[in-house]
Amino acid sequence: MRQHERLAYLALPFLMAAAFTTQAYADGETIAVFTKNQTNPFFQTVRVGADSMAKTLNAKTLQYIPTKPDSIPEQLSQIEDVVVKKPSAIVFTPVDYKAMVPGVEKMNEAKIPVINITDRSAGGKFISFIGADDYSLGLETASFLLKTLGGKGNIVIIEGVKGSLTNVDRVRGFNDALKENPGAKLLASQPGNYQRLQALQVMENLMQSNSQIDGVLAANDAMAVGAIEALDGANRKAQVIGINGTKEAIDAIKSGKLLASGDYNGFAQGCLGTMMAIRSLRDQPVITEIVLKPTVITKDNYGPFDIPLEQRTCPSWEEAGKLGGK
Amino acid sequence: MREAAVVSQSNPLQRIPGVALVLVLLIAIFGAIAPGFLSVANLSNVLVQSTILTMLALPMTLIIMTEGLDLSMGAVLTLTSLCVAIVSLATKSMLLGLGAAILVGAAFGTVNGWLVAILGIPPFVATLGTLGMAQGLSLIVSDGQSVVGIPHSVRDIYSATVLGVPVPIVMALATYAVFHTLLYHTRFGTYIFALGGNREALKYAGLSPNRLLIAVYALGGIMAGTAGLLMTARMNSGHPTAGLGLEFDAIAAVAVGGTSFERGNGWLLGTVLGVIAVGVLRNGLNLISLPSSVQVASVGVLVIVALFLDGLRSRS
Amino acid sequence: MTDITKQALSPPRSFLSQDAIQVFYRLLAALLICAALAVFSESFLSLGNILNVLRQASLTFFIASGLTLVVLTAGLDLSVGANVALSACIAGTVIHQTGSPLLGILTGLLVGGVVGLLNGVMVTALRIPSFIATYGMLWVLNGLTYWYMAGDTIHGFPAGFRQIGSGYLFGLPIPVYLLLIFLAIGTLFAQRTIWGQEIYAIGANPVAARLSGIPVARRLLLVYAVSGTMAGLASIIFLSRLNSAEADIGESLTLPAIAAVLIGGTSLFGGVGTVFGTFVGALILTLVLNGMNLLSVNANWQPLVTGVIVILAVWLDMKTRRRTQ
Repeated sequence: MRQHERLAYLALPFLMAAAFTTQAYADGETIAVFTKNQTNPFFQTVRVGADSMAKTLNAKTLQYIPTKPDSIPEQLSQIEDVVVKKPSAIVFTPVDYKAMVPGVEKMNEAKIPVINITDRSAGGKFISFIGADDYSLGLETASFLLKTLGGKGNIVIIEGVKGSLTNVDRVRGFNDALKENPGAKLLASQPGNYQRLQALQVMENLMQSNSQIDGVLAANDAMAVGAIEALDGANRKAQVIGINGTKEAIDAIKSGKLLASGDYNGFAQGCLGTMMAIRSLRDQPVITEIVLKPTVITKDNYGPFDIPLEQRTCPSWEEAGKLGGK
Repeated sequence: MREAAVVSQSNPLQRIPGVALVLVLLIAIFGAIAPGFLSVANLSNVLVQSTILTMLALPMTLIIMTEGLDLSMGAVLTLTSLCVAIVSLATKSMLLGLGAAILVGAAFGTVNGWLVAILGIPPFVATLGTLGMAQGLSLIVSDGQSVVGIPHSVRDIYSATVLGVPVPIVMALATYAVFHTLLYHTRFGTYIFALGGNREALKYAGLSPNRLLIAVYALGGIMAGTAGLLMTARMNSGHPTAGLGLEFDAIAAVAVGGTSFERGNGWLLGTVLGVIAVGVLRNGLNLISLPSSVQVASVGVLVIVALFLDGLRSRS
Repeated sequence: MTDITKQALSPPRSFLSQDAIQVFYRLLAALLICAALAVFSESFLSLGNILNVLRQASLTFFIASGLTLVVLTAGLDLSVGANVALSACIAGTVIHQTGSPLLGILTGLLVGGVVGLLNGVMVTALRIPSFIATYGMLWVLNGLTYWYMAGDTIHGFPAGFRQIGSGYLFGLPIPVYLLLIFLAIGTLFAQRTIWGQEIYAIGANPVAARLSGIPVARRLLLVYAVSGTMAGLASIIFLSRLNSAEADIGESLTLPAIAAVLIGGTSLFGGVGTVFGTFVGALILTLVLNGMNLLSVNANWQPLVTGVIVILAVWLDMKTRRRTQ
């Protein structure tokens, strides 16, 4: 086969992909949805929520995810690309709430309506903000653990990624919960980088230097699970909490291994963000801010959270009004 | 001075470097199927988006030509972008911020060069170590938080234009001009070729390979410092993890562009084409809204295909 | 016999050769770190901690041991981390669907090996430099894994299977047994078999190796396949220890594995290095992390400390290497 024939065959997949994607522009508005990465289950729930709401309201979503997880330069580039494409509206999770401000301003300049979800951006104009409060989630979930321990005990914190807003706020929440419980002692606060393997190794190491650990505050569920495996492996017991409310966490709560997880309802955020975007395009009233109330998922209340993603339904407009909005 | 491979004249396509072929192909395909791709606004975006990486990949080309590698560039870029933010915030001067960034970058580059040349530590390990150091310093000086509130003069750099050409592109062009001259028209450049292919010749000529090596790595650090200004301008803030990982993109661009790891050959234009090719790919895939997982895989395919085509050329 | 041929077919490297001396000095570096930690932290020298460190190091070692063979041929495999992730996710799915841990283990090893083989094909048949071939593979694997997992997590495996990663036998964690076994196998393979010798020869002088009749392409395919299969093994250990897997588990595995190989004294130019050295490299990296946790080093400082120690460990090696030459 001649070389240029080989090259022509290479073009085929791209042409096919184009054929499949271009046909979708026919119905309704196009909502561009920006999330931080492809690997964190939380953002998958956001995307599924957005898709679900768009389908209900007869609009289309386009997903923008950096190929390198959490990449600031890439998300900035994707914003520049999306501005060329001019979707009807954008539902936006900033990879970093401060560094993305110039990107938001670009979207504003292009007169594309933007809804901010998950992390509250430090600047730029938005039609609406839908999010959960990482600080209160950290505070409430940690307080629940401390209450279960009777307000005292030896505690370790497993932090997430340094430089990430969710991490800063959640750990701040943990520390404030500890301040409110003077009987509890913080033995160590070490980074697990939101990774389960690292959290496991950190926990193993911490168990060596601390013979008595009563509670583990992990900044996300993956790390909580890692810590639990470390505890199991060493035949030690401690109460562990995580944040995100992933399916894995709920299963662990059901089996009694995980005490609780802070619900970071990505599905609802995706739904509501898209809802506000479409409503604003259709000149319908929107809610300018919804901060989902911090909910701690425990053995007693996990029922409504235990629904598989495919079967969940978005909140309706009436329900949205009750969800802690203005 | 691109090492001319012996090629058969029968197939003219074989004389075009793999990366150029891939780039042309991508532009043709996306031009056809991606709405808005060929617009001035979009193409200008792609070029501007490629400037920071270009400024890293050009010195990386030189480093790779000396059979070395600089894994710390992304972390040093992150640190220097923080320097720009912190210093310009404190002094209200963009130029002082830039100066600080270049100093810090040069320092790291020199340390890299010293570790490799004087201590003889393999470049992979040496720069892996300085990567950790730069990353650590970034976290320490920023305490893991973004630095905001910097003077407008910094952020305006990114959107300003000179005779209609965006400043970042001007900077990248200037960088290219400098490196092109350095490599192909000065004795220093000849020495760099020698560093990769024929280090003994340098010694016999009475020159110190060590000083040259240090200079090459220091150059990388200086460019990381300069690119730090662009990065901070783009984000209007300094961020402790923003540039991490860019060194691998730079290395891939250099390799895709035709510079080989073994021999002392190097092709600067190829590096730039490599950077642009990856930028075009990402931009085009975004415009046709290909699922993100496919986009990720495509980058890998691109890189492999470009080098496969290159391999075909030099085989005949 | 010409000089080139003699060089290519040099006698099997005895364990008491240059390499052994190098490894000794590297072990010295590791022991120095241990001594420092023992002084500053009272929990370091406990049996529990030492076993932990060995078990933690084992995961890096499994990946790095296969990688060592690749680097010995002057190649590199950047795709190992992504390989672990994909293999773990697929193996995990197989265990869930079929209920058979054995099938899962075989799948993990197979997927890893196939990926490795594909890397080898790119390097040998397609003549793509290993850095780029495996870098491209890294992206392709990530794309595959992201698509396959769609943000999901696989979790919950049978207790028997989980013994592999978390179980103990006569007081030693099972991964540590596996570590010792593969350390032995790897060392014997590299030092005592013809194949091993040929791999060293290929790295030292590929032209001479080919001229003296060594089937270079086949050996290269072998080393990349081994590297991939060891990544597959690591994925099984991961699955059984963490009882779960998701798409991004590989991201933090590649660089430490490569660092372990290099700190252990294997040269990127090929022909020099040992599997035992890689083990020491993995040990050093694990000790640093262990120490930082035990001493509660602030998170901001950890990358800095790691970077400095990596350089110090290699520098120590460089100093001693020059003295023995």
